[in-house]
Amino acid sequence: MSEVALLLQKQVSKGSWVNDKKVALIVSGVVLAMMVAFLIVPILSILSRSFAVSDGFGLENYINTLGTSRIWELGLNSVVMASLAASIAVSLAYAYAYALQRTDLPFKGILRIVIMVPLFAPSLVQAQGLIFLLGRNGVFNRFLGFDIDIYGFWGVTLANSLYTFPYAFLILSAALAVSDARLYESAVVMGAKPFRIFRTVTLPSTRYGIFAAIFVAFSLSITDFGNAVVIGGNFNVLATEIYNKVIGQGQFGLGAVVGVMLLMPAVISKLLEKQISKRQHAQVTDQSTPLQIRPNRLRNLVFGSYAWTIAAIFLSVPLIVFVASIVKLWPYNMAFSLKHYAFDVQNGTAPLWNSVGVAFATAFLGVVVVASAAIVSAKFKTVLSGPISFLSILPASIPGMVLGLGYVLAFNNPSNPFNMLYGTFPLIVLLYIYYNHAQGFLISSTSLKQISSTFDEASTMLGGSTLRTLFKVTLPLIWPTLLGVGVFFFMRAMVSLSAVIFLITPQTQVAAVSVLQLSDRGAANQAAAFSVCIMLIVIAMLLVVRLVLWLAGAKNVTLIR
Amino acid sequence: MTRALVTSSLIAMMSTSALAGDITVYTSYEEDEAAAFLDLAREALPDVNINMLRLSTGDLAARIIAEKGNPQHDVVWGFAASTIVNPQIKDTLEPYKPAGVEAIPAAFRAKDGTWFAVTGYMAAFCVNNERLEKLGLEMPTSWADLTDPAFKGEVVMPNPASSGTGYIQVSSLLQMKGAEQGWAFLDDLDKNIAQYIKSGSKPCHAASAGEYTVGASYDMRAIKNIKEGFPISMVIPAEGSGNELEANALVASSKNKEDARRFLDWTVTDEAATAYLKWKAIVTIPGGTMPQHFLDAGLPADTNSVLHPTDFEAAANDRDAILAEWQGRYE
Repeated sequence: MSEVALLLQKQVSKGSWVNDKKVALIVSGVVLAMMVAFLIVPILSILSRSFAVSDGFGLENYINTLGTSRIWELGLNSVVMASLAASIAVSLAYAYAYALQRTDLPFKGILRIVIMVPLFAPSLVQAQGLIFLLGRNGVFNRFLGFDIDIYGFWGVTLANSLYTFPYAFLILSAALAVSDARLYESAVVMGAKPFRIFRTVTLPSTRYGIFAAIFVAFSLSITDFGNAVVIGGNFNVLATEIYNKVIGQGQFGLGAVVGVMLLMPAVISKLLEKQISKRQHAQVTDQSTPLQIRPNRLRNLVFGSYAWTIAAIFLSVPLIVFVASIVKLWPYNMAFSLKHYAFDVQNGTAPLWNSVGVAFATAFLGVVVVASAAIVSAKFKTVLSGPISFLSILPASIPGMVLGLGYVLAFNNPSNPFNMLYGTFPLIVLLYIYYNHAQGFLISSTSLKQISSTFDEASTMLGGSTLRTLFKVTLPLIWPTLLGVGVFFFMRAMVSLSAVIFLITPQTQVAAVSVLQLSDRGAANQAAAFSVCIMLIVIAMLLVVRLVLWLAGAKNVTLIR
Repeated sequence: MTRALVTSSLIAMMSTSALAGDITVYTSYEEDEAAAFLDLAREALPDVNINMLRLSTGDLAARIIAEKGNPQHDVVWGFAASTIVNPQIKDTLEPYKPAGVEAIPAAFRAKDGTWFAVTGYMAAFCVNNERLEKLGLEMPTSWADLTDPAFKGEVVMPNPASSGTGYIQVSSLLQMKGAEQGWAFLDDLDKNIAQYIKSGSKPCHAASAGEYTVGASYDMRAIKNIKEGFPISMVIPAEGSGNELEANALVASSKNKEDARRFLDWTVTDEAATAYLKWKAIVTIPGGTMPQHFLDAGLPADTNSVLHPTDFEAAANDRDAILAEWQGRYE
């Protein structure tokens, strides 16, 4: 796709037949066509099953499902849990992102990486880690004398707050990264107190980021069934109902009805987005100056203790998983042993290396895909911008299981032009990209929305085309964010599980599935060891990319913004 | 001896089969079992390239249903009989009776020949000894014991709506007690259940990890966790244990039926049966003895003595109605 764009750019700069509007429309068309092929068709393939009844098509599944009080109770459970989890995650993440972007705390690099941990360990291992820590026979109860019962509403809420925190952080951090010092200076000159400045300058300027973070955290919590299955106990939600219907009983139609209900948050947020975007003003204009952070010991003390407390909580889960992987039998025999690292799972460590390849491909292609979508929906005003921005955030509302089965239904069909991709790694890469599209898109858009349109106007007045402005002005400003999006895709592709289990074949095994196989057969310690290997690979890759950037001369760039 | 015979006869077969190639096998055997069986199958059929995909029963069922329009596999192997009879899956199969399948009692084969089961598993409790002692409880021996108020909040069992193991536990209790008494008993049991966990193996893992005292699960899960070193005991419920069969079948759309059939033939050989015995408490091919550690864990040498004679057909037919009633009462 970038090649297409480059080619078009060449033609434009040569002053050929293609005019600005046409370029915008063509690029938007390509973005939309990809979405149709790899998002709409799979989603419709499965959600249309909700209309399939014994004698053709009808609304029977909806009438039967929505006519029971059970589904409304589950809906209420889902909404309450997801709202609470999203509020916790977004408020904590805002403060954390503020600490990293608006103070001069030392060791920010470490703080940034630690908080990403939930993104680079398979979620089933994290849920297991939480049980190791807070379960009825976990560290706190068994060794420290507490009496905690984590199973149920609070367990799921806590787990989902932890799970969605890094997503919220990435978006909010992108929102807080850009600021115009002039606003702050004038506020200080006018005698405003710090809290008033925060309320009247900082908070409004990050409005879109907050909205996007809430949407992502809410949607991911309401569609996730991993945490609900492992620590939900008897607390049931809509996502576990899909699990019951589809995995427990093979009834796609009834599961699809619930899947359609889960799309509501995306629809509502799309309706709200216009209002929010209107009031979001750009932070970087042609006259803005970057904010200089002044030393302030009290502020650093407060934010420092906060950030390190959060970091410690996030470190405790992988730490306990690591400990479980190096003892004989957690929690009964705590003698040191490396035996769990002698993997006897089928295919051994080969799936790890498959995953590294898949993750790199996902990172590179994913950045191109989401950045194109973000740019065409924010900067190229065409008739396609609206549909593209809605479809861009839609995947957050699709449970992985539903999207995975949709891919099977769509691409295993011989009449699909992309049928030849079925059973190959490229299709797995595309699944990862579109499954995580909303998060990548929102991080990119949050950055883009803070760049003033005055740049575009100036560039246009000077005779620059839309694409010229894009490559000369916009991309240089947002590339650190895009790098972070790439890292994000890399991590997700190393560990996402719920969608990919429906696409793996004997020849295309990935690391997260090996963890599932080990966990299924009861080898919890070996599953922990395998996850530790995944985490080490992710960390190693981050270091390699860092080194490459450093060698290339980009010394002050952070991988995670 | 038998093994040498089988191997040599297979080598003889090899020379006659000119068209050998790839087959894809979908299985729900646990990963370690499947790997052990597969090694033997590959040895026995060296000219066939056997590709195996292993997923848990529910995941694999969803995958097979989703791929129904264009199946990618040739053989279904070790897959829950109560799920294989789902019309969406059964419709993809073609009747096949491997040579020697008569050795398997008729109760373990489909009447129309679409599937046959060589192995199976039965309901069993995993009881955490450490926790039992700490709470001063007596070792339960039956489902009835689990209704003792002393066990309140200490029992976990699989959710029948999402787990096949959970469903066989519930349906066997209903079959042996009749609907009215059966539901009354489940009402009593429900008072003590801390969680209905959404998988069949997790209750045993939860008991093994000491999260709860009793986890209703299945035989091999308990035996394997005992072997891993967890401080648990296996209890086969005295009322009779509900059980599930693991079925094999030929996929109608297979493009390499010759090799698929040879693979299915292999699954009923004595050599295969010997391997099953090392991993499975229920082997439907008669003869053979079970390993010592199965007996040490508490299995009787003749498992038929503890099995509840399950009516698999009724269990499959009543599934939707039972689950609806179950969810209405307990969720």
